[in-house]
Amino acid sequence: MAFFEISEPGEARTKEACSTAAVGIDLGTTNSLVSIVLGDGKPRALEVDEGSPLLPSVVHYGTPSEPGSIVVGRAARRLAAEFPRDTIVSVKRFMGRSSADPETRRLSPYQFAPGDSGVVRFVVGGERVVNPVEVSAEILRALRSRAEERLGIKVQQAVITVPAYFDDAQRQATKEAGRLAGLEVLRLLNEPTAAALAYGLDKRSQGTFAVYDLGGGTFDISILKLIDGVFEVKAVGGDSALGGDDFDRALAEILLGDRERTPRSVREAIDAAKAAKEQLTTAGSVQALGRTVTRAELEATIKPLIEKTGNCCRRALRDAGVPDGKGLDGVILVGGSTRVPAVGRFVREVFGLEPLADIDPDEVVAMGAAVQADLLTSESPQHDVLLLDVTPLSLGLETMGGLAEKLILRNTTIPTSAGQEFTTFADGQTGMDIHVVQGERELVADCRSLAKFTLGGIPPLPAGLARVKVIFQVDADGILSVTAREELTGVSQSITVKPSHGLTDDEIERMLLASIENAEADVQARLLIDNRVEAQRILKAAQDQLDHNGDLLTRPELESIEAAMQSLREATQGKDHHLIHSLIEKLDHGSADFAKRVMDRGIERALKGHSVGEFDQGEISPHAQKAYSALKD
Amino acid sequence: MIACWSCGAARPVNAALCPACNKVQPPPAAFTARDKFAFLGFDPGFDLDLPMLEERFRQLSRKLHPDRFARASPQERRFSLEQTTLLNDAYKTLRDPVRRAEHLLQLRGVTGEPKMSPAFLEETIDDREKLLEAKMSGAPLDELVRAAQAKRDEALKQVRALVVDGGDLRQAAEILARMKYYARYLDEAAGKSAEL
Repeated sequence: MAFFEISEPGEARTKEACSTAAVGIDLGTTNSLVSIVLGDGKPRALEVDEGSPLLPSVVHYGTPSEPGSIVVGRAARRLAAEFPRDTIVSVKRFMGRSSADPETRRLSPYQFAPGDSGVVRFVVGGERVVNPVEVSAEILRALRSRAEERLGIKVQQAVITVPAYFDDAQRQATKEAGRLAGLEVLRLLNEPTAAALAYGLDKRSQGTFAVYDLGGGTFDISILKLIDGVFEVKAVGGDSALGGDDFDRALAEILLGDRERTPRSVREAIDAAKAAKEQLTTAGSVQALGRTVTRAELEATIKPLIEKTGNCCRRALRDAGVPDGKGLDGVILVGGSTRVPAVGRFVREVFGLEPLADIDPDEVVAMGAAVQADLLTSESPQHDVLLLDVTPLSLGLETMGGLAEKLILRNTTIPTSAGQEFTTFADGQTGMDIHVVQGERELVADCRSLAKFTLGGIPPLPAGLARVKVIFQVDADGILSVTAREELTGVSQSITVKPSHGLTDDEIERMLLASIENAEADVQARLLIDNRVEAQRILKAAQDQLDHNGDLLTRPELESIEAAMQSLREATQGKDHHLIHSLIEKLDHGSADFAKRVMDRGIERALKGHSVGEFDQGEISPHAQKAYSALKD
Repeated sequence: MIACWSCGAARPVNAALCPACNKVQPPPAAFTARDKFAFLGFDPGFDLDLPMLEERFRQLSRKLHPDRFARASPQERRFSLEQTTLLNDAYKTLRDPVRRAEHLLQLRGVTGEPKMSPAFLEETIDDREKLLEAKMSGAPLDELVRAAQAKRDEALKQVRALVVDGGDLRQAAEILARMKYYARYLDEAAGKSAEL
């Protein structure tokens, strides 16, 4: 089956004749592009900067009072060396990140605004303070107005691509930048999925493919299955803070050596490193800052960075059900950094396949985005295709004891929703804190915090009786909204998660690498907390029973149960979850007979004229009821 | 049968699309109880034709996915989102033999967490200790992984026999609940062999 039919020339719909157009935008770390599908069904990148389709993602801020004080693209890049602080390069790396993020402490010439506001803020052009969303919006505004010039029509709608591994905060920030630039963001599309779309259409191929996307600042790996025009993403992985910029910085450190580090010298060293890296794609050695750099030297410098991508690849392959790449039909290279020969060699090694790079790795993402924009806006789209994407990271809630309860697992096809019921822990509790987290680890402290809110107005009830249902819904953009509802009263609150900062490097590294390294420790920690919570619950229930029905026990029986409770209480102070567990069991068994007698008393009372319903609801305390259920099964 | 919101024609309560006008319909209110087999055009059963399942999932996605409704009214967009969410959930449930069997038991009225037998729990603790020891000593895990896989496959076979031949469904639920333990065990073993 063909994915598209090329229209006959006579029938070609002339988009130019329409008054507005929907475009695809690749908002890249290093370069940004805008692409559009015209009447022949083929996406093409528009020339937007001095005759090139690549608009360097560089924004220069001059003196605010002067007209034309904001410059974007090549013109801005030329100003970077002279005005290193006022010229923001690779702003994408700061999207959705907080001012405390290690990204702000990497080698860079910028001046960050002080204060602990949630987001990173740059001080530029004297007094002006801008955040990454505003800087990105300048790039989008430039793309938009230049595309309008090229096309002669208004551009109001766009599909904007994001790294598949962008979290919720980074996606929200990107969408916000689009809105600031006056664009209706039709869809946030994952970059590797966009690339696969462009390839799938071009090659008309079927099968399972890996997309290895190493850009200026981000790394993504996606495994997709392509059948009959449906692109089903099976798994994604990556690192939203790893890319060609890191190669540049690693080499710049060497070039700088003992030299004095001023904003200017840092900018020069990074630029020289970048130029050297690019030349070394073909050359064996080059001169940089008066020093010879060989390809072998570059490769040794960046080796650990390239190897960081390997683990992500192996995990994604496993998640997609094609471990070690067996059963994979092809590997597609995307992103300018895949031009580095050592990267190509590494990919060949990991996947055991010769990678495909026949579509320009710089343009392929924007082309896929343009196809998706056409699909979403045309009465009769040029291509009959559908993209089914997934969540990159698991989404969950904080539960008792600082544990993350995952509601939606990573690599779940979106849109998706999941619900979970929680109950109150204390008597008369009227509010419940809902803490939404993203990540793979067991403990909340190791995951990324997305949002916190409080569901109030819960009717004061004994512990364990209120029923709070929390529902997560992830839409087709991969953005999460959360609703919490108390089922008895119908009190509800919902929010679209709007975090103010992003994953820190530390957190990403922890989440990506440590999640598996620490799997064992996580499980131990989880078991300990689970068992402690369970122990407290059962101790409380048993105490309630003793208070209300202690008269049913002989003295030795009472002492035996109390002793079992005391040793359990002591065990919860320790860290041995096996011990806690076995003492819970012991108490459970030891009080089974007691529970039976309590139950018999209840039935006896019911037979004496109380209804069973009455007994169920109030004759004994709710805790006792809970104790029944705990003891009985 | 209820009326289609758009054309008014009578349509089945569970129909995602109106048979008369093909418009996307709101999902039924108590959707949690919905038969996920029926949603994808299957009779409930333990065994399922997986290539056929994938094919039907793709066909329905083409009709229901929000991308197909980008230009539709907000109401239709909402219905599309809700129906696609259900579709994705049904597909996820049916393509996995354990989730599929759980859903099947749920449809047959077996609900709630089954009580695990003490013998099984004891065995699990022993197996875990062996895994932990092997990990500590750096011994190869292949043998342990194979043993756990064999137990898992055997358990699934038992569940199948009980479900297909009209056996005790409560017992089937108890054996099925063991799958979580096996999965966790195998995940832990895999965490090591991934060499991360």
